[in-house]
Amino acid sequence: MSGTGRIDILTRVEGHGSVELVREGERVVDAFFKLHESPRLFEALLVGRRFDEVPEIACRICSICSTVHKVAALQAVEQALSIRISRQTGLLRQLAVQGGQIESHALNIFCLALPDYLGVGGFPGLANAAPEELQLGLRIKALGNLIQETIGGRAIHPFNLLVGGLGTVPKPEQLQHLADQLAAIREDLETLIRFVSALPESLPALPTPHVCAVSGGSPLFGDRLITATGTIVSADSAASWLNEQIEPHTHAKVSRFDGEKVFMVGPLARLNLAMPEEDAEQLRGAPVSSSLLARTVELKQAAERAGSLISQLLSDGLHQESPVAISPSTGAGTALIEAPRGVLLHSYRFDKQGVCSNANIITPTSINQAAIETSLKALVTAMDGADYDQVKTSCERLVRCFDPCISCAVH
Amino acid sequence: MKKLRFAIAGLTACSGCQLSLLNCEAELPHLLEAVEFHFFPMACSPAILEGEYDATLVEGCLSMPHEQQLLIALRQSSRYLIAVGSCAAWGGVAALKNGEDRQLLRQQVYGSSRIASETFAPQPLHAAVTVDAVISGCPPEKEELLKLIAGLLRGTVPIPISYPVCNECRMRENLCLLTERSMLCLGLLTLGGCDARCPSLGVPCEGCRGPAPETNLGEALEIYLQKGYETGIVCERLRHFCPEWKP
Repeated sequence: MSGTGRIDILTRVEGHGSVELVREGERVVDAFFKLHESPRLFEALLVGRRFDEVPEIACRICSICSTVHKVAALQAVEQALSIRISRQTGLLRQLAVQGGQIESHALNIFCLALPDYLGVGGFPGLANAAPEELQLGLRIKALGNLIQETIGGRAIHPFNLLVGGLGTVPKPEQLQHLADQLAAIREDLETLIRFVSALPESLPALPTPHVCAVSGGSPLFGDRLITATGTIVSADSAASWLNEQIEPHTHAKVSRFDGEKVFMVGPLARLNLAMPEEDAEQLRGAPVSSSLLARTVELKQAAERAGSLISQLLSDGLHQESPVAISPSTGAGTALIEAPRGVLLHSYRFDKQGVCSNANIITPTSINQAAIETSLKALVTAMDGADYDQVKTSCERLVRCFDPCISCAVH
Repeated sequence: MKKLRFAIAGLTACSGCQLSLLNCEAELPHLLEAVEFHFFPMACSPAILEGEYDATLVEGCLSMPHEQQLLIALRQSSRYLIAVGSCAAWGGVAALKNGEDRQLLRQQVYGSSRIASETFAPQPLHAAVTVDAVISGCPPEKEELLKLIAGLLRGTVPIPISYPVCNECRMRENLCLLTERSMLCLGLLTLGGCDARCPSLGVPCEGCRGPAPETNLGEALEIYLQKGYETGIVCERLRHFCPEWKP
């Protein structure tokens, strides 16, 4: 049978995408990755909005990544209007972003990816196949949400994070409660890393594309992009370096770099650019299929970082403070940040009334599209001759290794 | 008790309503004792539409022809179809500029390039099908989803609330952000059910749950005017999540 086959609905991913497989006789000879989520046209929706409405609307791009979208938008707005936030606000935002990292990674590991390794269809299957791991995962996920809710007022679309500050600063006892909960899962995270390291891998070892991540700030924050090949790109030049192109087969813009280069962003990229010594042996230059382990290692990192941010905040002493007063002005700002799935950029320009005149948002899954498609092509080549259904299943697993967030990608 | 067959579908949206369900971490394992997910692409494989569903929860607005087809197919095979979240209920944030030329909006993002499929101005679910219940909010509260499922397990849906956020804010004895601090808080006109989540932290209600049926609209607009907010500004803010809202 020749022609094309499709994975019509990619499942256990956020949003709507598909994989098209080109067949010649019994062989699969090519693969294409397509995102057909409907564009909500966020960049157009934001034009004409006041500076304080922009982060509120922009965070609605995605639920899983809403905290990090909110923080990126706030930073870009504040840069454009020359607003300086307090150290306390900065630390609280970092803590919220680490909470988002914990929630998102736990969701991927326990609900979306783990079923692939245990031969079940989803979390309901895990309730039978691995009830303890599921319970553990849900506990970790809940803690990520609790962190986001404590700082942002809500786990999804955090309203308490405002331009210039917070609506209400959390109380010390609320942060202490988070610290206690984080301490309580420390051993669970070690157990989890051992559990994930021991899972059998059925995907062939595909080469890792070039890697890129945000650098130059606190963990997950920064002001530049770096690559493993030594390229350094400032925030102001990042959008042109990421070179988004519109292509007919996908609704998300695709980053096309110089020549044939393909860059991957996300957990494996971040770890390869700043590898913790104890994980180097397992993860340095590891194939794309190691992303589950990479996410697990990052989950532990995020929990540790959240703990140390809380210690800093508590030793500084929390104080109620109002958001800084703002006078609207002309300006432009670009923020770079690491979302759970990788590099995220928000860039805005405002007129003298503080009304948005231009918006540009570049998300990790849109950057990763080319890497996903290249990896899919490598996979079908590596599996040449294998049964069609097996190729199809493996393609879907491979896509999940990138944990795509398609609402983000298309926005 | 026989387990209920559920379908959970997402149309044009951020997946936040589906994530709200997955955020019921403490309840999920218990939920599995009462409910089977037969079509839930975001969380379960494979996603095959077949058979009848006791209830279908739909997140998101309609903005593509194939979404309309999916929604109609789900309606035809579901005893209850519930619109979950403000996009499904009202069109939501994606419908923010429905009054403007969609071609121009598309050009602002995609230039003159054509993108793959046909899309149209975002619409709420009731534009295409009968909806048996609505849980609004961006996102909805987890407790509302659990209450809904509890109702469905007993063969019904919860009675919709009709009072505004303001009532719940009073119950929490919060300082009024509108009258005491002159902030543009939309709690007077916005549907309750969130326990005044935002004003309780000193952040004005942004109207994410859409209009409340039981309000004293004339009086409310008068108070906004006294505080320096023209009716046009108030309505414009309310339309962030409910583009068709007209006072």
